[in-house]
Amino acid sequence: MTRTNLYALVLTACCTGWIWIGIQFPLFQSGQQHEVGLCLIKQVTNVPCPSCGTTRSVLALVDGDFASSLQWNPLGWLVGTMMLITPLWITFDLLLKRRTFIHFYRRTEGWFKSKWVAGPAIALVLANWAWNICKGL
Amino acid sequence: MDLQKVDLFIMTNAKFFEAHHLGWIREQLIQLDDAQWPTLQMQQYKDPTTLLIVSLLGGSLGIDRFMLGDTGLGVGKLLTCGGLGIWSIIDWFMIMPATREKNMAAFQNLLA
Repeated sequence: MTRTNLYALVLTACCTGWIWIGIQFPLFQSGQQHEVGLCLIKQVTNVPCPSCGTTRSVLALVDGDFASSLQWNPLGWLVGTMMLITPLWITFDLLLKRRTFIHFYRRTEGWFKSKWVAGPAIALVLANWAWNICKGL
Repeated sequence: MDLQKVDLFIMTNAKFFEAHHLGWIREQLIQLDDAQWPTLQMQQYKDPTTLLIVSLLGGSLGIDRFMLGDTGLGVGKLLTCGGLGIWSIIDWFMIMPATREKNMAAFQNLLA
């Protein structure tokens, strides 16, 4: 993947994420948020996927409620941090004509291809999935 | 390389590549040395139809992208419920061309 494609994809994803959070935040604060979101797995099977609850987790983070954010889905902390840092990082790269983000992305991708990183990561995701199912998200 | 071998390769592997790449692949194979035939036979390509089925069933978890070797995109899909479901649906249409492009890159690596 080229630098331009990656940066465009990540910026689009982050912008969509922030727009989605912006739409959901007033509903979250007033407690009117719908239980079923846009997750295809949840819609079709009625079983939550490993990342179900991430939106509510990020919303709780934005609201300053860190404990309930962790309770909704720990992945929300990861996604929230990425949504905050990556647009700034990419803007910095684009302004200074550097390639630090794509180098980081490729290095991280390389780590995840190693079984010593992929194994524990898969185990954590599966454990989180089991927790999501137990919580009945 | 022998024309019969070239045509055999094209017939066997046409489904793994974009139609507009086949002419170029044929030309490259004709110029290739016969000694490279076993290496060419050993190369495994990803089946676009298999990836489409995986994308339909496990696209929301990013399994299709993991299988394709795009680990970063796979993690992205996994963390975002398949990009709020939108990315999953887009990938139902994009995964077959993406697989063929990956196969083409693997073929070019073999020639290099």
